[in-house]
Amino acid sequence: MTARYVLGIDLGTTNSVLAYTSLEEEEPRVELLPIPQLVAAGTVESRTALPSFVYLASEHEAGGGSYDLEWAADRDFAVGELARRQAAEVPDRTVGAAKSWLCHSRVDRHQPILPWNAPDEVGKISPVTASRRYLEHLIGTWEAAFPEAPVAEQHVVLTVPASFDASARELTREAALAAGLPEGLVLLEEPQAAVYSWLAATGDRWRRQLSVGNTLLVCDVGGGTTDLSLVAVAEQDGELGLERMAVGNHLLVGGDNMDLALAHHAAGIFAEKGVALDPWQSVALWHSCRNAKESLLAPEGPEKQSIAVLGRGSKLIGGTVSIEVDRQAVGQLLVEGFFPRCAVSDKPARRRASGFREIGLPFESDTAVTRHLAAFLQAHGREGPVCPSHLLFNGGVFKADLLRDRLLDVFRDWFGEASAPHLLSDVHDLDHAVAQGAAYYGWAKQRGGVRIRGGTARAYYVGIETAGLAVPGTPRPLRAVCVVPMGMEEGTQTDVPSEEIGLVVGEPAQFRFFTSSTRKHDKPGDVLTRWSDEELVETDSLEAELSADEAIEDAYVPVRFQPRVTELGMLELWCVSTKSDGRWKLEFSVREDAEVD
Amino acid sequence: MRRIVIALRVFFATLFRAQVAREVERVLSGIGQPTPAEAPRAPKPEPKKPRAPVRSDAVTLLATLQREARFVDFVKEPLDAYSDAQIGAVARDVHRDCGRVLDRLFALQPIVTEEDGTEIDVPAGFDAGRYRLTGNVAGEPPFRGPLRHHGWEATRLELPSWSGSAAAARTVAPVEVELK
Repeated sequence: MTARYVLGIDLGTTNSVLAYTSLEEEEPRVELLPIPQLVAAGTVESRTALPSFVYLASEHEAGGGSYDLEWAADRDFAVGELARRQAAEVPDRTVGAAKSWLCHSRVDRHQPILPWNAPDEVGKISPVTASRRYLEHLIGTWEAAFPEAPVAEQHVVLTVPASFDASARELTREAALAAGLPEGLVLLEEPQAAVYSWLAATGDRWRRQLSVGNTLLVCDVGGGTTDLSLVAVAEQDGELGLERMAVGNHLLVGGDNMDLALAHHAAGIFAEKGVALDPWQSVALWHSCRNAKESLLAPEGPEKQSIAVLGRGSKLIGGTVSIEVDRQAVGQLLVEGFFPRCAVSDKPARRRASGFREIGLPFESDTAVTRHLAAFLQAHGREGPVCPSHLLFNGGVFKADLLRDRLLDVFRDWFGEASAPHLLSDVHDLDHAVAQGAAYYGWAKQRGGVRIRGGTARAYYVGIETAGLAVPGTPRPLRAVCVVPMGMEEGTQTDVPSEEIGLVVGEPAQFRFFTSSTRKHDKPGDVLTRWSDEELVETDSLEAELSADEAIEDAYVPVRFQPRVTELGMLELWCVSTKSDGRWKLEFSVREDAEVD
Repeated sequence: MRRIVIALRVFFATLFRAQVAREVERVLSGIGQPTPAEAPRAPKPEPKKPRAPVRSDAVTLLATLQREARFVDFVKEPLDAYSDAQIGAVARDVHRDCGRVLDRLFALQPIVTEEDGTEIDVPAGFDAGRYRLTGNVAGEPPFRGPLRHHGWEATRLELPSWSGSAAAARTVAPVEVELK
């Protein structure tokens, strides 16, 4: 079994795309796979993107094969365009944004919790299952189109946000393997995929555009999330090479927020005219606003544009209500709301702490992408903020020229006209760049070509309670031992020089687990006794169990940690006995405080 | 090696996909039974249901235009009661969405690229389906004259496929009922 193709899969928050290239050709020619999907009951059409939505049909709808596909009979759910359309009108049966749930460690992502807050009679599914269904659809499509090249035998590159931590990556991989992707699956960070897509489009000319010492900022604002990465241009073996330096935190703010903001603005104008919109009309308004956004944000767009909410019933014209929105007001709303001018020393506003917090996705309370960007550049500079020399945009939001221009202006404000970053010529297709870049990367990995080095994007820490006298009512002080430094390379392992930790035989040992995307100088074994909430973020805890039958005589085994990053970029943490050659892998555990109702 | 891979795939697919499990059970129960002589001719299992009647492509196109652009609602509604402004507000949306459907399904392109009014040649042996001559049509081709319309042609034909029932074969838009 030799692989004939590389498949690049962008499993997006709102859209998924599959690009592929043949390994048998001398030059990579990346193509998009048309994805047949249900657009209405019993109606299948091919699109280049698969909306990442699942519609869970009731049993009365599912009969009669209305949701069947060429490769799947007796379906009681639908994935793709039909599900996206249903999201508006049947929200209790439609799953969306599964990917944002996947990295939300306050819920148990194996439990059937989606659609969130749906009534019990709906057969809910877990975020992992939803992701698996999108991938199964892509695999089914591929195997119908290329029956002689089964997915399990091809090279597959699946993209994840750079901001995904180790447990979210693990869950993504789990969904991918369950769907039928091969074990040799490689996970690639999305901003890196965007860079590969640019490299593929630029060819060898990239070496003339970038030089040693340059820093490239990838600013990827997708539908639901904003993902930032810094890539440095360095000399590697006498050649220009790329190295990923830093990634940003997971920010739940993106193009969907902008559409919603515009819809709220428009709903306000309707209200002034005395028109109250019902829920169906509100959703329709949201869609109209998405359409209007691009032309309103074009530099030469019309001064005024009408936004209409079409009549619901067969009386289309009679039921339609419309308003005029002012281009300037909209520009003000979106540009100032999401890309306001700010100082590079500004920080995003934090959510005010309150006793109650609604569970659900932790959307950003500050929607200003520029302030998140400022905080990111500050966090990764040695003295003062990093001043990137080049800028690459990705994500559908940057189709709007007004937003691109504003972001460039903000950089000029921060760093001055002369040293503001230079925008890399934008030859790539913003909607499909990530999947295309992933396929190109897979080709370069097999056949040779420039690769971005990086290693782990974050440092990881295990929380250890200090021994000492217990004070009633006070938890024992916690220390964090660095086990994985930032930038640990693929295919390496290391021993953490630390005190021995005793694992009790026959009982599960739980460790709290933390990550940091900013502490780049910590080495394995370094112990932190205090840290701020922004520096270290707690993620899913880890668990190891030494079963009593492993012929261990003592009641407990002294161990040290041994982290390993596999060739495929997966992080593994092992406990290695200091007395014997026993070793146990730590697994992410279901959080005890996981909130499922 | 290939068989190991297949075996593993079957294992996981059986574990995670109920439908595959049923298929595997069916295949396994058939192992060891003599293969009927005509088996190689029809290796694919017969579908359980008879194949759904095919819907006319014209209905599929109408249904698509209605679903995505409300085309049928727009054309079927009498305009008498409405002002031009009211009609215009709707027409913008219907126009934009119809255009998107036509682009996606047919990728319409002009047949000739010249501007209207420029002199173009009509070759000898032209296809009357592709060129329509007007005015003083006489003499022998090749003809030459000013372009009055550049024509349109579909450079792609990607209509949705349909698998619904005979009863729904002529449905352009389904009845919609909201449950409270």
